[in-house]
Amino acid sequence: MTRMLHLLCLGLLTLPVWAGPGTLIKDEDLKSSPSVAAARVAALAKGSNVEILARQGGWTQIRAGGHTGWVRILSVRANTSTGSAADIAALASRRDSRVVAVAGVRGLNEEELKMARFDAQELQSMERYRATAADATGFARAAGLSQRRVPYLPAPAPAGSDPNAGPNAWGGVQ
Amino acid sequence: MKRPVRTVLALVLTGFLGLGPAQALDLGSALKSILKEKIKPKDSQQTLDTPPGTQQQVQPAAEKPRDQLLKSLLAGSTSQADEVRIGQRIAGNLLGAVPLVRDDGLQRYVNRVGLWVALQGERPDLPWRFGVIDSEDINAFAAPGGYIFITKGLYRRLNNEAELAGVLAHEVGHVLRRHHLKLLQQSQAIAAVGSLLGSKFKSEDQLVQNIIGNGAEVVARGLDKDAEYEADRIGVVLTARAGYDAYALPAVLADIGHVAQGDKRVSLLFKTHPHPEERLGRLAEAVDSHLDDVPAGQSVAGRFYRLR
Repeated sequence: MTRMLHLLCLGLLTLPVWAGPGTLIKDEDLKSSPSVAAARVAALAKGSNVEILARQGGWTQIRAGGHTGWVRILSVRANTSTGSAADIAALASRRDSRVVAVAGVRGLNEEELKMARFDAQELQSMERYRATAADATGFARAAGLSQRRVPYLPAPAPAGSDPNAGPNAWGGVQ
Repeated sequence: MKRPVRTVLALVLTGFLGLGPAQALDLGSALKSILKEKIKPKDSQQTLDTPPGTQQQVQPAAEKPRDQLLKSLLAGSTSQADEVRIGQRIAGNLLGAVPLVRDDGLQRYVNRVGLWVALQGERPDLPWRFGVIDSEDINAFAAPGGYIFITKGLYRRLNNEAELAGVLAHEVGHVLRRHHLKLLQQSQAIAAVGSLLGSKFKSEDQLVQNIIGNGAEVVARGLDKDAEYEADRIGVVLTARAGYDAYALPAVLADIGHVAQGDKRVSLLFKTHPHPEERLGRLAEAVDSHLDDVPAGQSVAGRFYRLR
């Protein structure tokens, strides 16, 4: 329960990034709470329009088809904007005027990179800023960051090769 | 991926060195024997081409004959010192095109965050260096040996330290798995042959430059999609291991995905990477239930260094 509250606080902190309309990018079971073990509220199909309400760790609370529940955060794509017109509008509305000023600037291009000449002085500057392991570790600790054991993620099997993996994946916590 | 290079190389060998088709098939040993024959031992320590101020870092590799570097590259067994030396050349060239943002506090901050993330991987002893470069382009780059760059344009879009960590972790992933080094190993064989046909390299630096191509163009060369998906998976894991919100990199990808396709600031990124939506889809599949037991990480928004 304490853990739940803790998670909830973290979720609320990051809420603004994820709130808004979204689309489900895969078939999902809508869960009553943010857990694989939770009861299924509804089955949602890939492509469903959803309203993103909140976030809690790896889960996001959504409303879809009259139901409210939780799905894995990576199963939802937020549609902040759908076209270039909307993007430009969003860009223009930014308070930072520099952002607007650079909107028409061309980006890095290959020609520029091809023509680049070695800059020893800049490289040396970069060297000056290097952190030591002790420094980096202390800085992390200062923010309350602590290491967790997380194994590397295996590459997912090519699409269509494991049509039966879906239902059982929900069966239990590994 | 390797096949076209081999084919080209076979043609070059057959054409210029008069090798028969049978010999050309066994490229590895053919090339090795040619190297033994044609590359003369180095006569003197060549330091003239070493850029001023970098002697100290390149010292270990400078003691090795240049043909040894070439051979190790051909054999796919580049030493860490050589890997760093190649990365250093690429980094120096990139900085020649785009300098660092003049903000000591920012650069130090990025190095602290970046190194903490890099320490979560299997190559903690690489001389990791991180830099924010002065470009409005939205992108990040990695060079072999642990050189990582993020543009000011991408940095400005980030909301917190976890997102910075996520972006850097993706680039760290490329270095951990030697993605760019492998790319160079696949294409440098042609340069090796070129070196045998008259134009001898005066120094290792020239050789390294020849291997990486023109300027910093190598960073604009796309890796194959699987390398990018792999770096995304590693990025998520390293971010989580470091104690940050594991979903920070996906959040950045989602944000970049919302930049208009025609926006020039993302043209290089979109040219060299699969579209963010595709990357997010792959991540969703890869992550699935694997992170369910990992406690929620931190965003660290409070001390996030804002661009001036």
